[in-house]
Amino acid sequence: MKKWVPIASGLLAGFAAATISFADFSSNAKTTETASSSNKSDAEKVYVPFGKKDDYYLFASGGHSGQMFIYGVPSMRQIRTVPVFSQDSATGYGFDEHSKKMMGDYTWGDLHHPAFSETNGDYDGKYMFATDVGNSRAAVMDLKTFTVKDILNVPNTSGPHCAAFVTENTEYMFLPTRFAVPLGQAYESLDDYSTKYRGVMSAVTFDEKNTKLNIAYQVALPPWSYDLSDAGKKSSKDWAVMTTYNTEEATTNLEINASQADRDFIVLFNWKELEKMVKDGQYEDVGGQKMIYPEKQKGGIYLVPVAKSPHGVDVTPDGKYFIASGKLAPSMTVFSFEKAFKAIENKDFAGERNGIPIINYKSVMEREVNPENALGPLHTQFDDKGMAYTTMFISSEIVKWDPKTGKTLDRVPVQYSPGHSVAAEGDTVSPDGHWLVALNKIAKDSYLSVGPSHPESMQLIDISGKMKVIQSSPVNPEPHYAQMIKADKIKAINVYPKDENNKEAVYKKDEAKIVRNGNKVDVYGIAMRSKFIFDAKAKRPDVIEVNEGDEVTIHLTNLDFDEDITHGFAINSYNLNMEVQPGQTNTMKFTAKKAGTYPIYCTNFCSALHQEMTGYFLVKPKQ
Amino acid sequence: MLVPIPFYLIITIKGVVNLNVSKKGNKLSLISALLIGASAALIVVSMFFPWWRMLFIAPQYPEGLNIIVYPNKLEGQIDIINGLNHYIGMANFSEENFPELGYLIYIVGGLAALTLITALLRNKKVLYGLIGIFMIGGAAGIWDLYSALKRYGSNLDPKAPIHMDPFVPPIIGENTVANFITHSILGTGVYFVIAAFILLLIPLWKDRKVK
Repeated sequence: MKKWVPIASGLLAGFAAATISFADFSSNAKTTETASSSNKSDAEKVYVPFGKKDDYYLFASGGHSGQMFIYGVPSMRQIRTVPVFSQDSATGYGFDEHSKKMMGDYTWGDLHHPAFSETNGDYDGKYMFATDVGNSRAAVMDLKTFTVKDILNVPNTSGPHCAAFVTENTEYMFLPTRFAVPLGQAYESLDDYSTKYRGVMSAVTFDEKNTKLNIAYQVALPPWSYDLSDAGKKSSKDWAVMTTYNTEEATTNLEINASQADRDFIVLFNWKELEKMVKDGQYEDVGGQKMIYPEKQKGGIYLVPVAKSPHGVDVTPDGKYFIASGKLAPSMTVFSFEKAFKAIENKDFAGERNGIPIINYKSVMEREVNPENALGPLHTQFDDKGMAYTTMFISSEIVKWDPKTGKTLDRVPVQYSPGHSVAAEGDTVSPDGHWLVALNKIAKDSYLSVGPSHPESMQLIDISGKMKVIQSSPVNPEPHYAQMIKADKIKAINVYPKDENNKEAVYKKDEAKIVRNGNKVDVYGIAMRSKFIFDAKAKRPDVIEVNEGDEVTIHLTNLDFDEDITHGFAINSYNLNMEVQPGQTNTMKFTAKKAGTYPIYCTNFCSALHQEMTGYFLVKPKQ
Repeated sequence: MLVPIPFYLIITIKGVVNLNVSKKGNKLSLISALLIGASAALIVVSMFFPWWRMLFIAPQYPEGLNIIVYPNKLEGQIDIINGLNHYIGMANFSEENFPELGYLIYIVGGLAALTLITALLRNKKVLYGLIGIFMIGGAAGIWDLYSALKRYGSNLDPKAPIHMDPFVPPIIGENTVANFITHSILGTGVYFVIAAFILLLIPLWKDRKVK
């Protein structure tokens, strides 16, 4: 017998046994991470020590504050407030020339639903879009600087609550309206509501090169209220869905009169088809807008009956289903895109409403899901396994369920009355799981009392295992929806780069100058730690002297190309203040209406000698 | 490094003269010549690396601010450092204030050329001369840097908002100025030059006269 055989087989057996006992067969490192994170206490899970950063950015809509609130997750610390539709003296938003022009005559807005720009259905971290229900506007924020670059006024519509949602590659952002109004917002009697009023939806495009928003076309939908919406994904990417209420077309006491019909509709439309119709000239010109009338220019738009007055409608990450949340009906309805496409192909319709075909409910409905005693379902998010998380406004809880079976998997109470919730990248084609934040409408007794009214509340829920609320954070009025993005997707800059083509900028302090031309005074000044220089050659370089009635333009460049060394520029008693971020050139324009002596000072603490960073604005009285 | 250009010319001429009168006993071996050639290459390489740098660290600047000195330019967060230095009345660092940066690169290039010539001549006396130039050049460089540091640290504007006693930051090592701790550090380029110098010394030992 050969001696080596037993030796070799012995070694082999020993090696195999050792491998089985000690080797790590886990498929990836994530499992270990999750396992260890589940060993952490709740406090440890949310504690982010100095030197470490949060894993996610949370962009929470600021509702009628008109602002956007940026939070870190999991710490739930507020990092920044970005003004979008409202004036903000802290940043000079609505005071400096660029933001003043964008704001027009408006001083406030009602920021409802934020949406990130997307590439292939996933957040690309480049831009944030938002809509203003208060004054019918849309805005785009550049995430390199976290500042608003453009605001678009949307005509023929009033209150784009049902927005913003972007298509898979940010081709369009759709803005359906909450309030129906006559076209051009002309005066019309409410007795003629059904004939003269329209619920116009706008297709907005974003020109990235010029950071400009534009309206591509509009659709004169029936005079109903459009509530929430979502764009299709993957196989349904050319489609979008939105919920309606008040299909009763009530004109008063909507609380009662818009809640009468057992069924309202989901509007299902193919934006590629609408795009083609516009291209083929199938539209009418309404005050310069290309308007599609669904009853005249047929095709591309369909109605899906749904339990009455639904709120949210959300497309599953795989793009196969859309889920409507009942609000007044205690159930979620899962619809199949595939079945809808087939029904449309077979003209499987149950008549028309306002000239739009209604798809047979039974042909498109996949299942109705009715978790026991779960009341007021509003809005659904998804995790990495495709599981659904629906907020229950009335029963004040989050319900986790499986869209494929309808089975309830878990539920957790929240305090109190969640409107929307947001999961980590929870409305993309690839949600991250792990975190969900409930955006609660009522904080009540959650925090130290600040009088009869309280802030709203955001609660962080760990969804990596059994759902558990692990942190609660007060938030100003009022997050309606939020977006949660992996932190490393956002590439914010530290300082504004020099722009040698910018004629308003001054990058050498010796070149600061004041140019007078009749009653026009143009200042090309600089701010640096810790002084202003408006006229480098003057006896007092930090003084601006004008005549009463002069039109004054101040271009100010912050010469501190140093992270977070922001300067402010305020003129006492002139109701003016703006900021100049590191390296930025900002402009302020005004008329020197009041003669007198007005100190100038830096409002944004910049250095040990910030207090000395002052000057004078002298206005000579008229002779 | 303020080594006068004419000095180089004299040395070069001396080298050529040496070539004519070279005797066998002064001839360097091929390996030595190659080492000197490598030394010339290292000097060329050194020109592309920083020679010296000063790192400023403060509570507000944990990541540090840098003045990085190349033979022909300054890099780093010079504007920010200047902005902060004005509080103690220190003059601005800028390439205009260091005329050396205009010609130093040619001196270093010239040194590399001289080294290469030395390698080609393979003459021990020329090598001695070259080593001498290296030592003079090095000493001049250290003196120049020291005088610059002294100039900046001593001539503080008396009207500056924060009054400080004059100081001279070290060429190598740590110093504290107000909230800043400065670290003076030799750059990669200098290490290449030191390596080049060592390569010049090896032939002296290798081709020593064996009695």
